[in-house]
Amino acid sequence: MKFSSIDFHFSWSRRNRWRTRHFWAAGIGGAFICTMLAPRYVDPAQNKNANPGNAPAKPSQAAETDRSAISPQEKKSYEIAFKEFRLQNGLRVLLAEDHSAPTYSISVAYNVGSRDERPGRTGFAHLFEHMLFQGSANVGKGEHFILIQNNGGSANGTTNMDRTNYFETLPANQLELGIFLEADRMRAPAITQANFDNQRLTVQEERRQSYDNRPYGKTYEAVIDLAYDNFAYKHSTIGSMDDLNAATIEDAELFFRSYYAPNNAVVALVGDFKTDVALRLVKKYFENIAPQESPKAPDMTEPEQKGERRKVIEDSFARTPRLDIVYKIPPGNTADWYALDVLGYVLSNGVSSRLYQKFVKEKELALRVEADASELRGPSLFWFSIMARPTTDLGALETLLYDEIARLQKEPIADWELAKVQMQLRRQRAQQIYSSRSRANSLGHFAVFYNDPGLINSIWSRYEQITKADLQRVAQTYFRESNRTVVTTLPKSAAGEGGKSQ
Amino acid sequence: MNGRTKSWDIWLTLGRWLIVGLTIVAVPQLLPGQESLSTPQSKVERKNKAPVSREILRVKLPKPVEAKLKNGLTVLILEDHRAPFVNVQLHIGGAGALFEPAGMAGLASATAHMLREGSQTRTSIQIAEEIDRLGAALSAGASFGSPDAVLSASGLSDNFDQWFGVATDVLLHPSFPVEELEKMKQRQRVQLREQRSAPGFLLDERFHRAVYGEHPAANVAPTLTSLDALSQAALIQWHRERYAPQDAILGIAGDVHAKDLIAKLEKQLAGWKKTEVTETWPRNPTAATERKVFLVDRPNSVQTTLALGNIAIDRRNPDYPSMVVMNHVIGGGASSRLFLNLREEKGYTYGVYSDFSALRYPGPWRAGGNLRTEVTQGALVEFFNEIRRIQDEKVPAAELEASKRSIVASFALSLEQPTRVLGFAITRKLYDLPADYWDTYPAKIMAVSADDVQRIARKYLKPNGLQVVAVGDADKIKAILEQYGKVEVFDANGAPLPGAAKP
Repeated sequence: MKFSSIDFHFSWSRRNRWRTRHFWAAGIGGAFICTMLAPRYVDPAQNKNANPGNAPAKPSQAAETDRSAISPQEKKSYEIAFKEFRLQNGLRVLLAEDHSAPTYSISVAYNVGSRDERPGRTGFAHLFEHMLFQGSANVGKGEHFILIQNNGGSANGTTNMDRTNYFETLPANQLELGIFLEADRMRAPAITQANFDNQRLTVQEERRQSYDNRPYGKTYEAVIDLAYDNFAYKHSTIGSMDDLNAATIEDAELFFRSYYAPNNAVVALVGDFKTDVALRLVKKYFENIAPQESPKAPDMTEPEQKGERRKVIEDSFARTPRLDIVYKIPPGNTADWYALDVLGYVLSNGVSSRLYQKFVKEKELALRVEADASELRGPSLFWFSIMARPTTDLGALETLLYDEIARLQKEPIADWELAKVQMQLRRQRAQQIYSSRSRANSLGHFAVFYNDPGLINSIWSRYEQITKADLQRVAQTYFRESNRTVVTTLPKSAAGEGGKSQ
Repeated sequence: MNGRTKSWDIWLTLGRWLIVGLTIVAVPQLLPGQESLSTPQSKVERKNKAPVSREILRVKLPKPVEAKLKNGLTVLILEDHRAPFVNVQLHIGGAGALFEPAGMAGLASATAHMLREGSQTRTSIQIAEEIDRLGAALSAGASFGSPDAVLSASGLSDNFDQWFGVATDVLLHPSFPVEELEKMKQRQRVQLREQRSAPGFLLDERFHRAVYGEHPAANVAPTLTSLDALSQAALIQWHRERYAPQDAILGIAGDVHAKDLIAKLEKQLAGWKKTEVTETWPRNPTAATERKVFLVDRPNSVQTTLALGNIAIDRRNPDYPSMVVMNHVIGGGASSRLFLNLREEKGYTYGVYSDFSALRYPGPWRAGGNLRTEVTQGALVEFFNEIRRIQDEKVPAAELEASKRSIVASFALSLEQPTRVLGFAITRKLYDLPADYWDTYPAKIMAVSADDVQRIARKYLKPNGLQVVAVGDADKIKAILEQYGKVEVFDANGAPLPGAAKP
């Protein structure tokens, strides 16, 4: 919630890791995710970006293992029970039966994201995601959405740096439909030149709408380009116009063969079905899809940063300056990452958070402030973003932020602050019960990122283990000047919109 | 946690504008090495091979427990024990921006926002800390054009009494501290400046002015002048007169026990007394009969952000179900005509949609989207083509059935979210709809005929009355817009630009 619900018509918060991220919302985080459709009534997908668990799915001869992921003593009302199976072709299947609403969601997560792209083909993973809505052996172009919507459902697909996912929510009596649709496109997408050209145009409009035609639309790409050395995360998921123009359907065929195999995917179903019925249908439609050689995991090595990096960019739409400061941090699902995530809560989650109180309320230097650990499978970023007021002295603002960081390094946070974060996490845990889609996407996320779908339940204990000393230690370890990248976005006064440059 | 999610629920409840995707058209760009004549067209195709259950899963929406407290407050409680969580929405009729006095735009919203900034026993920071420490959320707002202010709160059920106690404290005993008010006004001033950088805001501002004319819903934001006029005394008075229980609806959904809670509310809210104020409703807006074209010049834009529409119906209008179906056919989603034509076949846009707003007074139907500047002309042509087609030709039976099925079947999905179900009940109350309204709603949708769709389209989508609003690079699109009528041009600050349009 933070400030967003207080003063603003829209929020740019990235805080809601456990719920949904709206790539289109203004602000820093948005940029992490690209989706098939702009979200309107329903959210795109809940998203998780993050790290390398990347266990290549081995097609096992042992047909299926059935293990319940719940420890019996932890059976609280918000425990999410699921069963896990592995098909002959290596497809990992996660089924969470829940009859509380007459609906279900299916989510298919593929172990491929923009980190797998090569130079000259940025944006390809996401463009390819669009192609999987363009028809397959038994589904016509555009028919996917027609079938879903005409039966009361909703669907979307999203791509981020580390994975691609596809999902549908449908009334429970359409169980077979969702499974059929996902299998048909995994087996035999119909990729034609005409449809490829059409979706290239669509994706270019997505880029314009989400980046090129909006204020601060250049900032995100400037930050990752400056902060990262390794190409994998140095480029954005949406990609460049030139690279989108250069993409060919030969690329698409190769991409499909490399990454869209059952042994490189996870299917999660959550909702109102019988587990044995769902499993039978999953086998019926997916089991005859041939496995492929597992793709090579990309090299994610990021050299240690040896000094501060700085850049100033001008933005012809912006009317007030923005300061983005990032530090490189470890991948998601590591002890230090969880501690850094908690620090993000302390700093900017809620009206009582340190940075909101200091920058927005007390000093009146900023309109919004955000501090958040991005969750990636590889080297992540701790991201501070401050929307300054038009007359704010940016140098003083930056110094003030470093004072706050120094405070975290010098003294432990207060007991009540840590207790507060634990309550905020409990709240998130309770809320994730409602949406079958968010649970299905979470299962796929944890399976693809960390090879551990059980994290949907056990992640909360990781947070509970965090101590005040951990927070102080990670602040000291990672918030160092030599590990820092600073991007300042200034209004370009030439735009004639009255923006004030410094 | 996130205010955004909550405000969506509210918007859904009110049937208010959601996020309207925008639309635009363009001449297809040639890609490198591509010959225009040999380009095969990307066509939507139905193979009808998927395994579909022909049944529509009919769901009966659970009905909340309903009560009226002694002070006149209507209470709706929907028990749902799936998660240890509770959601609260309080709609305070009469406290919305619709009734703001002249020159005081922003008064309703400021009053609502300031509830969190101090009560007689708590300071701003105390409220913030208490809410955050409980893992709760609390916010209040009053959107422009709405008759209501809305207070929303949510949190865990095991500390419900505590956070709900804070919520009632700020509702009943706010102190509107001057220092906090000045800080909030200052934030709003900066926000006024900042939001002018977003094409969506510029579009809304101009579109609302175009369709609502003199009606207060023409406003979408305060002005610097109206913000200056907001004093502590004005907020106190607004709160005293307007925050009245007899016109309010309190909706609670989640892990609570209705019977106990109603008894508790009776005590807890006993101090909230009825007031005598009566609302003077502004005269209803009426549909424009002459097409007008507005252009907001946003230099450097690479897309044109477009909306076309006109005032249509209010929420109680008997045409409502037909309007829902008609809108679904033309622009209701990714299987609708506008989307399939402009995106899936022409590649002009990331998405184009239509929507309508039906409140206590008639609101607009509108279609729109973001389209790259180069295809502005082609997009406009296709928007008008689709608007004419739905008037000139009867919707084919299969397409009509599919749309109706889509609307009715989607009710099942709302059962995942108690706030959605509660929202239906609140809507029924807000618009004084019959008790069995949602029970009979699917049958009403299924009864809509092809004739109804055509009649509705002809009645409300008359091409000659449509207001056309575009935000984009005037140098590149003004001449195109002039083909649709005399163009009034504004700058991004909302000021009219000289340089008269050609007739």
